[in-house]
Amino acid sequence: MQNKPSAFEFQGLTCERDDRLLFKNLSRVLEPGALLRVAGPNGAGKTTLLRILSGLYEADSGTITMAGDPVSESRHRILYLGHKPQVARDLSVFDNLQFLTGLGFDPLQSALKAVGLQHYHDSLVRELSQGQGRRCALARLWCSDASLWILDEPYTALDVHMVQVLDQRINAHVSQGGICIFTTHQPPHDLSFDTLELGRVH
Amino acid sequence: MSIERRLIAREIRLLLSRPGDVVKPMWFLMLVISMVPMALAPDSDLLSEIGSAMIWVATLLALLLNTDHLFRDDFNDGVLEQWLFFDRPLAWLVALKLVTHWLFYVVPLILITPVAGLMLSITGNVLGALLVTLMVATPALTCFTALGAALTLGSSRSGMLGVLVMMPLFVPVVILAAGVLIRATDGSEVLPLLALLGAFSVASACLVPLAVAAALRLNIGGSS
Repeated sequence: MQNKPSAFEFQGLTCERDDRLLFKNLSRVLEPGALLRVAGPNGAGKTTLLRILSGLYEADSGTITMAGDPVSESRHRILYLGHKPQVARDLSVFDNLQFLTGLGFDPLQSALKAVGLQHYHDSLVRELSQGQGRRCALARLWCSDASLWILDEPYTALDVHMVQVLDQRINAHVSQGGICIFTTHQPPHDLSFDTLELGRVH
Repeated sequence: MSIERRLIAREIRLLLSRPGDVVKPMWFLMLVISMVPMALAPDSDLLSEIGSAMIWVATLLALLLNTDHLFRDDFNDGVLEQWLFFDRPLAWLVALKLVTHWLFYVVPLILITPVAGLMLSITGNVLGALLVTLMVATPALTCFTALGAALTLGSSRSGMLGVLVMMPLFVPVVILAAGVLIRATDGSEVLPLLALLGAFSVASACLVPLAVAAALRLNIGGSS
C-alpha cells in the first residue's frame, strides 16, 4: 500500500514574512524512516516551514525535492494535516474521508475504528467534539499511502489514549520506510526523533 | 472512485445539507419581479417592454447571493488546501466545481424565470430569447463571480468586494444579452449576437478557472 520509500530533502530554505526573517539557510536530508520534529517558540515559523515543505507556500529561496523531483511534482505523495479542521463541518465523517481518500466503506471503517470513531461515521462533523473532529482528520493516517507525512500540531485536543495510538501509528509509518515531519509543544515520550530548532536567527 | 466523481458527489451532498442556498436566489428573483408591477403602473405593454431586462438584471443579482459560499467554507475549514494534494491540476478541479455550481445553483434559477416572465406578461419570442441568453451567458457570469470570490478569500466579510471587483467583466455580457433581447423584441436576427455571447462564455469557461486556481493558490499560501 505504501509508495516506494524515497528521501526528502530541503536545501537553503530562507523565509521572510512581514519583514521578519523566520529562518535562513535551513537544510536537511531526510532518509526513509526519518522522524523530524520542528520545534521553536510561538511565532518562530514552524507552521510556515511545514507549509513550505508541503508546497503550499513558496520559500523566498531554497529547494525542496522528493526522490530528486521538485516537491510540486510529488504533492500527491504527501499527507499534510494543518491547524484547520481539514474536514467540512456540514458533511458526515464518512463523506469527508471518502472525498479526501477515495476509499470505500471497509478501509475507511477500519481507519475510523483505529481512532475510535467507528460509531460516528454517519455523524456530521459539526456535531462532534473538537477532539473527535481532530480524530476524524487523523483517521487519514490509517488509510493513506502517502510516504511523507507533514503534521502540524497533531496532538492538539487529543486525550492521553489517543496520543499513544497516534505515536504508535507514526512509529509504524517510519518503520515501514515512511518519513514524518511534525510540530508539537509536548514532546512525545514514545517516539525517537530528530529535532529542528527554529527561532534562533534573530 | 476518481477524484472527479468524488468532487461532484461532495458538491451534491453539500447542496443537500443546505437546500436553502438553492431556494434563496429563486425567492429573491420572484420577490423582485413581483414588486415591479406594483412600483410601476400595471400597464402590460410597458411591463412587457422592460420586463425581460428587469428579469435579466434580477437574475444577475440573484446569482451573486451564493458567490461567497463558493470557496469560503472550504477555505476556512482547510479542505481547500487539501485540493492541492490531489493528483490533478487545481484549475481542473476548479472548473469541475464551477460546472457543478452552475448546474445545481444557476440552472434551477433560470428554469423558474418563465414564471417571472408570465408575471410581467412576457411571452413568445422574447421569453424564449430571455431563457436562451440566460443559459448562454450564465457560465461566463459564474466564472467571473468565482474569480471575485477567490480573489477576496483572504479578507473576511468580503462578499460585496468580490462582486465589485468583477463588475466591469459583467458589463460586456449584459450589453450583449440586452442586444439579443432588443432584437428578439423587434423580430430581427439574434443569432450573431447570441454567438458572440456564447463565444464569451466558452472563452471564460476555458480561461477563468486558471485565474481562479492562481487566486486560490495565492490565498492558501498566505494563510496559516
